[in-house]
Amino acid sequence: MTCDDARLSIGAEPGSTGPALEEHLLACPACRQFREEMRALDGNIRRALEHAPEPLTAQRRTAPAVWRQWALAASVALAMFAALAVWVLRPSDTLARDVVAHVQAEPESWLATQHVDAQAIEAALRGAGVELNITSNRISYAQSCWFRGHYVPHLVVNTTQGPATVIILKHEQVSARHTFHEAGMSGVIVPAGAGSIAVLTRGGGNVDQIAGQMEQDVRWLPKTS
Amino acid sequence: MRIIAAFGEPGMRNSQPESPVSSISERLPGSEVRAAFSQLLESLRPDLLRFAHWLARDRAIAEDIVQESLLRAWRSQDSLKDSGAARAWLLTIVRREHARLYERKRLELVSLEEVAETHAGPRVAQPDGDLFTLRHAIMRLPIEYREPLVLQVLGGFSTEEIARELALSPTAVLTRLFRARNKLRVICGMAAAPDVTGGEALS
Repeated sequence: MTCDDARLSIGAEPGSTGPALEEHLLACPACRQFREEMRALDGNIRRALEHAPEPLTAQRRTAPAVWRQWALAASVALAMFAALAVWVLRPSDTLARDVVAHVQAEPESWLATQHVDAQAIEAALRGAGVELNITSNRISYAQSCWFRGHYVPHLVVNTTQGPATVIILKHEQVSARHTFHEAGMSGVIVPAGAGSIAVLTRGGGNVDQIAGQMEQDVRWLPKTS
Repeated sequence: MRIIAAFGEPGMRNSQPESPVSSISERLPGSEVRAAFSQLLESLRPDLLRFAHWLARDRAIAEDIVQESLLRAWRSQDSLKDSGAARAWLLTIVRREHARLYERKRLELVSLEEVAETHAGPRVAQPDGDLFTLRHAIMRLPIEYREPLVLQVLGGFSTEEIARELALSPTAVLTRLFRARNKLRVICGMAAAPDVTGGEALS
């Protein structure tokens, strides 16, 4: 093996080894030194790669062009506006966040187009201590979902304003109505009966109106001992 | 971080679930297999994101790449026969997704200013190892050097595997890896090693 062969091998794969390479290194202090340097460098490369890179702009040394300054200013303004919007429109509490996350985790719920049969609705409501005064042909999705330590009915109800997700939260008391806008969804959680009802829509629909209707349609059953 | 699939269009109700964490999959036959697969994808997600980030050099694009890759992986999960090979399989999907995006949008085009900076000479790292400088130096490597380096160091791919993946000869891969490290060597304040690649072409 020549020095060039050894250095190509070391430079490409500093951790590589083999009889021919080792034999060469025994006789060549310069290549041995090269391998030590490249192995040290490779350790740093590995450490560097294990962290995500910062944006390229972070280390620019040249003066930014005028349009870049304007772009930067616009970006800052946009970021402030976005932060403000996020703050204003944030879910009002962790319950709202959990509801949004739950609905996001079941995207198929929005896709159902056929109504669910009465048996499936009954299964979804079983154990939740509620009854619904809604005809089954208005419900396109009904599941009993594990949410915050309880099984809760998760429904998609077809309203005159489009489909709306309704989650009946018998075990979640809220002191007041909370509205939220998150991940393309608008929602409201209203106190109802022994707990609360969450209503979410995508791209429109008056959630307050739907929630009001649901408050009338949900019948809270007395606790059975 | 959760994987959140884009909402599909109506009419897709009976199609295969697109989200690796779709809870309905847990209610389908084979739910345990799907749940295990979801868990596997979730556990490897940080690795995939880091890998995509080094390729794309942009966090938002990396997120998109990983999201799309996970959806592709979810759709073709049957083709993964050995869960031990999942990481390499997923990294390959991410790399190809990046390549697709690159071809579509020419995301790797960099400004002349960046090119000038790349060739502006050594930027000596601080004593005690300035990983910040090294990270930026890696980020500025041209894709033909950065990609095999990331595949090798982060992905754990062998030279032969990289050659197959990039459709190159093993010699060309060695050349790229040598040159990549040689550039970084200079940036870290060491003398450039003579180019022993014999002027090998990069393909």
